[in-house]
Amino acid sequence: MTWTDEHQTKLLYVHTHGIDDPGRCATPFFLAAAAAAMEFEVMIYFTMYGPTLLRKDVVDKIGPKGDQGQPLRYFIEQATGLGVRLLVCQPSLDLNDLSLGDLIDGVEVIGAAAFNDLAAAADAVVSF
Amino acid sequence: MPEPAAPAADQVLDCVGAACPLPVLKTAQAIKELVPGQVLEILATDPGVEPDMRAWTSRTGNELVSIYKQDDVFHVLIRRVG
Repeated sequence: MTWTDEHQTKLLYVHTHGIDDPGRCATPFFLAAAAAAMEFEVMIYFTMYGPTLLRKDVVDKIGPKGDQGQPLRYFIEQATGLGVRLLVCQPSLDLNDLSLGDLIDGVEVIGAAAFNDLAAAADAVVSF
Repeated sequence: MPEPAAPAADQVLDCVGAACPLPVLKTAQAIKELVPGQVLEILATDPGVEPDMRAWTSRTGNELVSIYKQDDVFHVLIRRVG
């Protein structure tokens, strides 16, 4: 797991909040989508409670403003449609009693060393 | 009044009423449909559109030709480069 283009600006977002705090669920996807539209290479790493936001059975049921506005899936697909990559780590899947199969397609699993390597090589790391 | 120096747009993108980050995302998509040298005009009401478009053009290398507000609508003219 590495950044693919050394000439592009690289941004790594870290998302630690989960479904218990839906008001925090969408903003990292907004920012990541805009960064991708700025031709940055972008990844979002979900740790702690973050992986719960990627559950297949959740993305259509929650949104940042509850029943008003778009569901979480809209914000996720806006970002991934522009090339944003989504990462989780195994311990945070375990923390939330999840397996990769519980999550939407396209999520990649990395470990602590890979995360640190991505962070060290990024131009900025933004944590939520 | 539009700035007299503003060139005619080859394509108009209506983002009136669209909130951040949609104007940026739609602009990134729309600019790809132009050939280099052509001008995209974005109509937007999001209050952050001016700093956003300055940042977006500066990062992507496209040229911000002009930006002005008329009747509460921002008109952003961007020329596709490269």
